[in-house]
Amino acid sequence: MTVSTHDQPAPTTSDVEEHASHAPELLNVPAEQRFPLLGLAERYALLLLTAGICLYFSVSPKSGNVFASLSNVNVVLGGQTAVLMIAIAAVFPLVAGHIDFSLGATTAASMVLAAGLMARHDLPLPVCVVACLAMGAFVGLVNGVAVTVFGMNPFVTTLGVATLLGGIILWYTGGQTIFQGISPDLRVFGSSKIAGLPQVTAVVAVVALVAWYVLSQTPYGRSLYAVGSNPVSARLVGLRVRRNVMLAFVASGTIAGAAGVLQLSRTGSATADSGTALLFPALAAVFLGATAIRPGFFNVAGTVIGALFVSFSVSGLTLSGADSWVSPVFNGIALLVAVGLSTWLGARRRSRQ
Amino acid sequence: MTLLPDPVSAMTEGAAPALSVAGLTKRFGATLALDDAALSVRPGTVHALLGGNGSGKSTAIKVLAGVHQADTGRVQIGGRDQDLASWSAADARAAGLRFVHQDLGLFDGLSIAENFAFASGFPTRSSTSIRWRSLHHRVREVLDDYELDVDPRTPINELRPADRTMVAIARALQDASAGGERGLVLVLDEPTASLAQHESALLLSKLRRRAELGQTVLMVSHRMSEVLSVAHDFTVFRDGRTVATLVDAHPTEDELVELMAGRAVDALRPVGDTTATSSPRLSVRGLAGGPLRDVDLEATVGEILGIAGLVGSGRSTLLRMLFGDRRPDAGEVTLDGRRYRPRDVSDAILSGVAYVPEDRAGEAAFPDLSIADNLSVTRLRSYWSARGMNRRREHAVGRGLISDFKVKAAGTTAPFSSMSGGNQQKVVLARWLQRDPSLLLLDEPTQGVDVMSRVDIYATIREAARRGAAVLVASSDASELRALCDRIVILRDGRADEVLDADGLDPDVLTRKLLRSSGAHQEER
Repeated sequence: MTVSTHDQPAPTTSDVEEHASHAPELLNVPAEQRFPLLGLAERYALLLLTAGICLYFSVSPKSGNVFASLSNVNVVLGGQTAVLMIAIAAVFPLVAGHIDFSLGATTAASMVLAAGLMARHDLPLPVCVVACLAMGAFVGLVNGVAVTVFGMNPFVTTLGVATLLGGIILWYTGGQTIFQGISPDLRVFGSSKIAGLPQVTAVVAVVALVAWYVLSQTPYGRSLYAVGSNPVSARLVGLRVRRNVMLAFVASGTIAGAAGVLQLSRTGSATADSGTALLFPALAAVFLGATAIRPGFFNVAGTVIGALFVSFSVSGLTLSGADSWVSPVFNGIALLVAVGLSTWLGARRRSRQ
Repeated sequence: MTLLPDPVSAMTEGAAPALSVAGLTKRFGATLALDDAALSVRPGTVHALLGGNGSGKSTAIKVLAGVHQADTGRVQIGGRDQDLASWSAADARAAGLRFVHQDLGLFDGLSIAENFAFASGFPTRSSTSIRWRSLHHRVREVLDDYELDVDPRTPINELRPADRTMVAIARALQDASAGGERGLVLVLDEPTASLAQHESALLLSKLRRRAELGQTVLMVSHRMSEVLSVAHDFTVFRDGRTVATLVDAHPTEDELVELMAGRAVDALRPVGDTTATSSPRLSVRGLAGGPLRDVDLEATVGEILGIAGLVGSGRSTLLRMLFGDRRPDAGEVTLDGRRYRPRDVSDAILSGVAYVPEDRAGEAAFPDLSIADNLSVTRLRSYWSARGMNRRREHAVGRGLISDFKVKAAGTTAPFSSMSGGNQQKVVLARWLQRDPSLLLLDEPTQGVDVMSRVDIYATIREAARRGAAVLVASSDASELRALCDRIVILRDGRADEVLDADGLDPDVLTRKLLRSSGAHQEER
């Protein structure tokens, strides 16, 4: 379903461009001006698809009355807090050409750390929040230094850090869930609403806005896209490649740390879990997002749409009575389709001669 | 010495040639790289294929190797006549051609024996286990045959450079018996280019011995003195044509250079009048590092200074040092009277220095980003305010640059990679020139650029000089240097060896001087 909707306009565009390159008189007209609808369709296909799916599940007799209710929207948005945050976090290193697999574990570690500091050391909530953000930033710094200064493979490095964090979580919790001694203020924050929607969702929205601004509206964000496109060229036009990539990992780790606090405010307890279950839906959202809004590039707006697409689809399927295996299968297929599409879009951009 | 304009008739005197090529034509777009070229190699000789930059010798080798398909042409190997228009790498191999390229294609960390086995297959027992002893035995025999006194288990990176090349040659010829009585023809592309003097001398003496044992060798090189010491026959290409074939000859270096240089066919006309002033901009004293040993040079405001020299002379190294991308070992640089020692690239850019690297795709392009993004990348900050990046102005400036620099592109939103090479280069230049650099460093500014764009680019560079930049142009193209520059510095033996006034300079004289510096270790200066 996803494939066909994205697929249709694209090859046509590329055919047209190929012909255009042989016909000089057409060269002065950008493709978007010649066929404005195709460019728009490519950009907003995922958004339309998400809207279509929501509409379908709203009117479908099997899921309709529950799916469209405000409480279901609340459940979906609230439940996706951590996944959305991790997805936004993952965009930073991905824009610069690196993947970070440690984000799920960073979030899980941040949850356990916040819970532990409150339960075992009676520290006030603000201190715990700062400690979690600092922990996330530190993990990001370790990843960033390993990748930029020592030139270590980001895939293996961040996987190693994730495993290490998983182990530390097990050691710290002793395998037990921490649910006593967590600040009631945090619980209240996590369960209260703004304008009928969960308050945590507002926090996610603010983080998404800031991330969008940083990545697309500042010289720093633009330099990350340049590094992702060609790191050598980036160095030779005077961009501080190492520093900027390192900062991308730090930003990403910090957001993952914040995600842990938000998640704790929702769940009220921290389990000895390594966070893998959070990471993969998040990556699916980021890769899906690279097919929308700015096709061929990782971007925050697309990522948010990708996350909403996946979570509302899964919710609708569940409400329609689908078994529990449907959700991971859907996530997996969405991730594969997303990676395939964004690879193809990227290759098409590069080969448009 | 017999100078025969028609190479094929030369062969009627002796035995049938081991390899002969006739009527070879190859066109790349608008450029005619090879124009009815011919070549004939006698069996058991070392045959040198010579020519300047762009003479078509590399293209000819690539056609023989099956990398490029010829438009027309015949090849005759061991008496079999075949069509080069449908010639593939597999055909070349089946016909008995064996290639060793400048990059030897050896696996550095693996042993000699393993390197052999990757080309010929590992000997195995009944099922899958490798018969190491048998492999080592066979490889040792080959090495003995090539007078290489090394153990087959030695890793490649422990060998001396000349021996590495010999191992690559031995590996290419390890199935010599498979070629039958026809024998194999060994094709060497710039075999000594990366070797030091004594290493290449050793390699060449070994090569000569192989030829005495009956090996046929076709060799491309631009190191004149080496070619003279080893080759029996010579074929000289110029502008894609065979201009001379010397059989069993002993030409002098001057005679060969004369043949290679000839008259520059379409010598580019100088672009405008000089804009050089007398106020100094750049002064380099005793710069050393990499191939550079002690470079002194000066450039004034508005001057275009050419940097000439052969491959490996350090042209690119010089520019990279001035751009802060590589730290010199020693030396003083002053820019506008102040000491200039950039810590890194951004530091150099802040001092008003700009650099266009030779490898556009690898070091200058952001291929999937838009043309506007590629242009604004050197001045991102100027578009930023708290309200975000001013995209509208970025695209407006981009459109202005596109028309000023005569870039043909489908608007500023088109990806960089959608343009032709010449237009890409114009965008890279525009990226820097919008900053009004005080020192502009250009490495092969018109590489892979069509003739029309080339003229535009020359005018652009001269305009930058008129606006007060000192320009350093490193180029391997003598007519380009002649057309573009005010003065030309020849880098040789790590020094700025000679400074020529470009005004009234004959490009052929420059070509000759350059080629002659290939015999860098001779007296001739």
